[in-house]
Amino acid sequence: MMNRFIRRIQRFKGWIGAAAALCIFYGLYLGLLDSPPDYYQGEVVRIMYVHVPLAHTALLAYGTLFVGSLWYLWKRDVLVDNMCHAAAGITAAFTILALITGAIWAKPTWNTWWTWDPKLVSFAVLLLIASGYLMLRTFVEDPDKEGRYAAVMAIVGGIDLPIIYFSAEWWRTLHQPLSISMRGVSMSGDILLPLAIMSLGLNLLFIYMLMIRTQMLYLTNLLEAKKGRLLSHAHLSHTSS
Amino acid sequence: MTGFYLRWAGVIVIVGILALLTSQHYEKHLSSVSPDMVVTGNDSKTTLRVQGMVKSGSLTGNPEDGHAAFELLGASNSLKVQYEGPPPENLRELKTLILIGQWDAENKLFQARETALVTNYGYVASAYIVALLALIAFVFSMSRNVTFLYQEIKESKIYEPELGP
Repeated sequence: MMNRFIRRIQRFKGWIGAAAALCIFYGLYLGLLDSPPDYYQGEVVRIMYVHVPLAHTALLAYGTLFVGSLWYLWKRDVLVDNMCHAAAGITAAFTILALITGAIWAKPTWNTWWTWDPKLVSFAVLLLIASGYLMLRTFVEDPDKEGRYAAVMAIVGGIDLPIIYFSAEWWRTLHQPLSISMRGVSMSGDILLPLAIMSLGLNLLFIYMLMIRTQMLYLTNLLEAKKGRLLSHAHLSHTSS
Repeated sequence: MTGFYLRWAGVIVIVGILALLTSQHYEKHLSSVSPDMVVTGNDSKTTLRVQGMVKSGSLTGNPEDGHAAFELLGASNSLKVQYEGPPPENLRELKTLILIGQWDAENKLFQARETALVTNYGYVASAYIVALLALIAFVFSMSRNVTFLYQEIKESKIYEPELGP
């Protein structure tokens, strides 16, 4: 089922890429030019329109890896394993960018690039988990074991997701609490619209990147398998003659 | 591969044009001048954004009611300011801020009607440049890899029938 879904959605890759680009350009226009400056932070608040969507997309990417890993352990679908591998790389990329843009925003607002705040630390742990996942996949030789171990690691690492999300509620932290929660939305429409458009754009970009990267890993594996088969044929023909 | 590089060149051109338009918008609407530049000028019609520090001991009037007079310090000159507008929260002595208003060249007085916080464009620009360039580079390198892989599979004889000896 998942396999069919991935193959079906691959057909719309170009459209998804174009929609992502449109949303990002419109979000940039709204965020950089149209939205008002913040009463306290001034123009620096505009960093939010890139930092928050990057962080949300990093969580979405890891969520995809988590669900995909559960699915892989159940069905042992190789394409889903490729998708998980792809999602891990993208998670790492989005997490690094969210941490960098967060540090750039923290300097003028908190007067420091980094602080040992629960939200920041748990987000940095997400980067370590994604990096660990990618390293594990390079260390294990057997493809079946590689997929299995990596899936288990991704599922165990999933415990970091609720910690990141709720850390601002659970602990006393410098990071601002959730602006959108069950209690309602605590931001004005002028700020919410560019944030929503940029988030949508980066989420679509993530789906587009996931498709390309899954395709890339699938083709790499296919090429290696084919080359290996040709080599073994060549070896067989050499030894039989 | 030519089509692939042309497509990406198009993306780079669009991003470049948007970056240029954004920087021009900021230059036109949000850049500020120093009090020294205002004092030497005679333009009394244009709305100016002046950045400087409120001189210690110069603030008179009642900023809470939106009426105040003070001096704004530049590098070598100071600017006499008459503020009439909404009550500004950030107007106090030794505070660096941006004043929006017009220069009255005859009376040598800057008539401000609004204040704004000093903008840290460097932080905003660097956050966007880092994020967008990294994402573009990441997507480009992946797309290029996929194109190369397809080409390699097509050009090599991997898809030829693998018959035994």
